[in-house]
Amino acid sequence: MKANERSILSNYDLKKPSTKFFYYVMNLLVVVMMCCMVYPIVISMLNGLKANTEVNSFPPTFFPKEWHFENYIKAWNYIDLPMFFKNTMFIFLGNMVVTVLVLGLAAYALSKMQVPFKSAIYYYFLATLFIPATTYMIPNFINLKDLGLMGSFAAIWLPAGANAFFLLLLKTFIDGIHVEIFESARIDGASELRGFFQIAFPLSIPIFATLAIFVFSTAWNDWFWPSFILSQENKPLSAAIRDFVLNARRLDLNIKFAILTIVMIPPIFIFLIFQKYILRGLYLGGVKG
Amino acid sequence: MEPTTAVPISKSKPQTQRSGKYKRYTWGLLFLLPAIVTFTLFLWLPIIKGVLNSFYIVDFVKGNTFVGLDNYKTIFSDANVLTSAQNTLYYMGLALVIGFWVPILFALAISEMRRFQGFARVAAYLPYVVPFVVLYGVWRWLYDPVGPINALLKSIGFGQVNFMVDPNWSMASIVIMETWQSFGSAMLIYLAAILAVPRDWYEAAEIDGAGIWQRIRFITMPAIRNQIVLLLMLQLIATSQGFQTQYAMLDGGPNNATLTYALLIVRYAFVRQDYGVASALGVLMFFALSILAIVQYRINNKGGVKS
Repeated sequence: MKANERSILSNYDLKKPSTKFFYYVMNLLVVVMMCCMVYPIVISMLNGLKANTEVNSFPPTFFPKEWHFENYIKAWNYIDLPMFFKNTMFIFLGNMVVTVLVLGLAAYALSKMQVPFKSAIYYYFLATLFIPATTYMIPNFINLKDLGLMGSFAAIWLPAGANAFFLLLLKTFIDGIHVEIFESARIDGASELRGFFQIAFPLSIPIFATLAIFVFSTAWNDWFWPSFILSQENKPLSAAIRDFVLNARRLDLNIKFAILTIVMIPPIFIFLIFQKYILRGLYLGGVKG
Repeated sequence: MEPTTAVPISKSKPQTQRSGKYKRYTWGLLFLLPAIVTFTLFLWLPIIKGVLNSFYIVDFVKGNTFVGLDNYKTIFSDANVLTSAQNTLYYMGLALVIGFWVPILFALAISEMRRFQGFARVAAYLPYVVPFVVLYGVWRWLYDPVGPINALLKSIGFGQVNFMVDPNWSMASIVIMETWQSFGSAMLIYLAAILAVPRDWYEAAEIDGAGIWQRIRFITMPAIRNQIVLLLMLQLIATSQGFQTQYAMLDGGPNNATLTYALLIVRYAFVRQDYGVASALGVLMFFALSILAIVQYRINNKGGVKS
């Protein structure tokens, strides 16, 4: 452990005054960066506790002069946050089920089963990666309207099964599982469905967990697409925030910050608890591009 | 008892093997069927419809009317199309100049830290988990003429900057915000690659008399070359299609200074209800971007980044 304790700079380098100075400047830079990252998040929490006149004053204060905790109660009652939160979770869970059933089964079949025209089917899926989504965004909207899905959750859930990138990640992962396991299961009389649900799925939990992080962050973040294709009562939290909070004309700034804080607390909390796994999972997804 | 199941199958080999093979095929095809349906209905169908619709006036009530190349003529006579294309290129360029080097720099700096590396990593990634809509709200206030950034500028003796309203600043403000929000994820990828470099290489280089810059230049940079190329391509693909921040923060204003090409598509579709022209714009965008995609594919395959 001790012997490895060097990076580009060695301990010997750090004894030189100029390098040492450079090293401290660099560390200072990282500290400044960390402050810049945390400041907007902390300030919105504190702004939510100030009186409205104080939020609008110049220059802005950091800590509130008087603490108005009742702002958060007003914020909670301003829109039906639990309902929109429930919608977001609905979208996440539905997308996850579709991902497992549609993409998981397809990846398993492509990786471990005998299928005619396998590579043709595989390229039929993968070719969609080369067509940027924005170019067919409007036709996609018209298509959902033609299919009669507009407004319902199905308009979000079903297209979640058409994700070539996730399919690629899944297939690559399942390729790494030894084929002998499935062959011995077949010899022992397991059906293909059992082969998937009782062997391939449990062994692929790491990659499904990674996908769950992606799917969750999409469900939590995406506001543009849902705000156009979901009906009013099915909108997820972020679309509702944009429609009713960001674009609201007669909403006090301190209440606005309180609502924004309520919405950002859960994902930050989840991230801080699971950061080890999340950062690792993102790396797994990230390298594959 | 035991051999009874095995024997009959091997005896009637020619027939059962064929039907057995088809049976195996049926399961495989059955597993693939849902994906084939979803990919057809939700990806290929809209893609084909987009090309077809670009020759029609799309009307949900009265039905579509064929108009030939009229939609494309509309596009080439609209001055906003040129503006939006320029804005998109400007946005892509600004994102490279302001944002691209930031994660590399901080990945190097954080990999050098002897303590609190974990904290720096978490802090850098933190904004990425905050929903975009929340950030839009917070940054509108940060960029406000009476907001904290202007207070800071004033205290160190600069004049007031109207980050959002000044057309010279608006696009840069959006790029700065997006860099702040998303550089953490790119940084983690660089950091993982930098930390994967064996420490003895630096040791050996140092013994051979290589300075710090030489070590970075000839050991660290080649080690993250693949990641740089990959993330450069991903960033170009993402920024060439960018419109959500511009739409939410400024709605393309002030005076169309942040009107990107994709935002123009959205405007044609949802403001003017002119879905035919919007589809035609999408088709043109596809041809422009496919050049980029081909380049990415080439580099990806050559660089060995793919799995």
